[in-house]
Amino acid sequence: MATKASRTAARAMMSPSVILLLGWMLIPLALTLYFSFLRYNLLMPGGNPFVGLENYEYFFTDPAFQTAVVNTLLLVGGVLVVTVVGGILLALLLDQAMWGQGIVRILVIAPFFVMPTVSALVWKNMFMNPVNGLFAYLAQSVGLEPFDFLAHAPLASIIGIVSWQWLPFATLILLTALQSLDSEQLEAAEMDGAGPFARFRFMVLPHMARAITVVILIETIFLLSIFAEILVTTNGGPGNASTNLTYLIYAQSLLQFDVGLGSAGGVFAIILANIVAIFLMRMIGRNLDA
Amino acid sequence: MGAITLEKVTKSFGDVDVIHPLDLRIEDGEFVVFVGPSGCGKSTLLRLIAGLEDTSSGRIVIDGADATDVPPAKRGLAMVFQSYALYPHMTVRKNIAFPMRMAGLDKAEQNRRIEAAAAALNLTDYLDRRPGQLSGGQRQRVAIGRAIVREPAAFLFDEPLSNLDAALRVGMRLEISELHTRLKTTMVYVTHDQVEAMTMADKIVVLSAGRIEQVGSPLDLYREPRNLFVAGFIGSPKMNLLTGAAAAERGATTIGIRPEHIAASPDTGPWRGIVGVSEHLGSDTFFHVRIEGRDEPITVRADGEVSLHHGDTIYLTPDENRIHRFGPDGLRLA
Amino acid sequence: MARAISTHRKALNTAIAWLIAAMIFFPILWTVLTSFKTEAQAIADPPLFFGFDWTLENYTTVQDRSNYFRHFWNSVVISVGSTLLGLALAVPAAWSMAFVPSKHTKNILMWMLSTKMLPPVGVLVPIYLIFRDWGLLDTQIGLVIVLTLINLPIIVWMLYTYFKEIPGEILEAARMDGASLKSEVLYVLLPMAVPGIASTMLLNIILAWNEAFWTLNLTAAKAAPLTAFIASYSSPEGLFYAKLSAASTMAIAPILIMGWFSQKQLVRGLTFGAVK
Repeated sequence: MATKASRTAARAMMSPSVILLLGWMLIPLALTLYFSFLRYNLLMPGGNPFVGLENYEYFFTDPAFQTAVVNTLLLVGGVLVVTVVGGILLALLLDQAMWGQGIVRILVIAPFFVMPTVSALVWKNMFMNPVNGLFAYLAQSVGLEPFDFLAHAPLASIIGIVSWQWLPFATLILLTALQSLDSEQLEAAEMDGAGPFARFRFMVLPHMARAITVVILIETIFLLSIFAEILVTTNGGPGNASTNLTYLIYAQSLLQFDVGLGSAGGVFAIILANIVAIFLMRMIGRNLDA
Repeated sequence: MGAITLEKVTKSFGDVDVIHPLDLRIEDGEFVVFVGPSGCGKSTLLRLIAGLEDTSSGRIVIDGADATDVPPAKRGLAMVFQSYALYPHMTVRKNIAFPMRMAGLDKAEQNRRIEAAAAALNLTDYLDRRPGQLSGGQRQRVAIGRAIVREPAAFLFDEPLSNLDAALRVGMRLEISELHTRLKTTMVYVTHDQVEAMTMADKIVVLSAGRIEQVGSPLDLYREPRNLFVAGFIGSPKMNLLTGAAAAERGATTIGIRPEHIAASPDTGPWRGIVGVSEHLGSDTFFHVRIEGRDEPITVRADGEVSLHHGDTIYLTPDENRIHRFGPDGLRLA
Repeated sequence: MARAISTHRKALNTAIAWLIAAMIFFPILWTVLTSFKTEAQAIADPPLFFGFDWTLENYTTVQDRSNYFRHFWNSVVISVGSTLLGLALAVPAAWSMAFVPSKHTKNILMWMLSTKMLPPVGVLVPIYLIFRDWGLLDTQIGLVIVLTLINLPIIVWMLYTYFKEIPGEILEAARMDGASLKSEVLYVLLPMAVPGIASTMLLNIILAWNEAFWTLNLTAAKAAPLTAFIASYSSPEGLFYAKLSAASTMAIAPILIMGWFSQKQLVRGLTFGAVK
């Protein structure tokens, strides 16, 4: 409902954002796709001949690729399990009556605001370090050998660190969803004879289902791109033990300067992310009444 | 000066024609009310005049100049919205000053007009409050104040009283009428309430489904409704519409008779019926009478003291001079 | 109606919740504490909680040795700059979508969102090469551009949801009052949307401040913000826990405070309005 003049103005006012984002999306995408068909290494000057699918062949047959895919799935899956289950429990706890709820909430949310490089380094050095870390001290004080987390369980350690960062996100969103549940509904269910577990199973959980899905999808998008935590803790090692797809592509492109190979990996990463994105967009789109 | 002329104006949203080709002339200084059921296009018509919507075709002429493509800000019209649309972050004073600030009036003149408007609208004590701290009626006054200070060519009101409670509505109705008498500026007023239309208008425009059904003074519409729609819409309680034998013997397809033009008696009259619900208002009593062989009850206005009750037999006598006759096409028969 | 809960039950809830909250918060607390210790105390066995000699030495050392504040300033410029630039682009766009919606509005919003889902590593190579060729590597302006673009969809979305809550009649009233489009946006829309704009700003400063893919890959010494500077501690020499803690504390403190203020709006921003 508007006039031609305001529609024209609207188009003009929208265009800078649209054009910039279009450029930001199309140009690099096209270049990535283009590079992925070239033999293109920054260390080897000369022409960059077209090599068809050679880069893809290399990328997919590289033993590191399989490890990276498995690691990516483990990383995403592991963090999702910890944060979603933990988030539901924490949200239920924080929804209870207690003293100092505001402060508790603030303390629980805090890790989300810690920059990834800080949290990774603090955990790596001050907690997981086998000599000076707090965990080593705790282990020794009960008579156990200190455990070198990042050397012997690198992926699990990274899952732990990332979970600590994302648990607040899941908790916050699930708590918001929980608090929007009409308490009269619960009281009605109680009048109908539903015990605490029945109420959780048949009232609370279905009410939170949508928020849980949103948490899973959004976290997945971000977790597929975990990078800084790996870079500063393990550099993807030992060997490839903690290399995910993002880190693998980074290493191929900016450490080995193999632009073609890195681009082929990039195309694969985009396709993978898009699969998740489609589901997320559907959920968000359903909620949009534009 | 505020004569507004609509020439063959139409409006469609996509495939839906909201306003069919329509001509209308609003004289300078006139109080014109657009009335009709919801969805009849009356608000759209007002927004077309305001310039908040484009016409799909046709011309809008304000004071002799073609305003069809002039943006709302430049038409010199002021509008009072249904929700009042006050600026919540500004005080009453700043709300009223806003149109003058946009017009670049000097501060002294702004203050003079604000004080004058506030005095006229009983807002002097509230000038430094925010809209959120005011009652519905006060907000309404601020909205009117904001419109007055511009000294516009015409005022446009979009169902301004529909958010007020019944008592306030009557008061505001009087205030707006008084304002019109005082300012003598053109006012175009949209409402779905025919009582507002009857009490305020110099000229009523009855709309239905995007077409004008009739234009005329309140009494014209009351006395000579042009068709069945206007007959049923204007007047409260509604005109009784009868078909069948009663209509046929008067040479019409449908006849209409207003409740106030039927005499009720406990013993004599051509139409015999049974009293159903009766509504006692004190001054008047409305009987809903069921006549044998008719599904629709007939509404009758009687004196407040008439004592007839549910189930009593009642005799009705219509005033033959005030029976409206309509043909098969729904139009009034001469 | 809140129902009465026994004090006993409430005490138990409180105890459990505080215990868990303390555990979750502990790494941050420990970092802050350690930043005030000497390097020797930082690795003392058994660990020292409060009984140590509080010192500010680490804070001055970090600044002296590595010019900490230059990186801090880079973070400020990059996060605030990209947020302001993003707002300047997004306010008109969100106005258009919220108040002059067309049948394409929903598609445009969804498409903008989809650009946010592009994995950064998928476009790392071309962006890196373009930056190299245009001399944007390791510059503040380069990072401002990238962070503006990656956060623009979120800014547009958040503003859109806030603008949608403002009744269109008020903007129409401004138009009838003779306001030009500029005045309408400047004097009516923006003042009314101040709370929404403030939370949008806060969330975006937080996201930009903590962004750790592009900041790590597109900077070296000169324009490195705190994310990249802190990462340089991953291969340190000598004792460094206390200094790392001091640098970390300064890096997270401002954002932690902003984050606590914006926690309510955070949900809406991070879920694109899917959870409110």
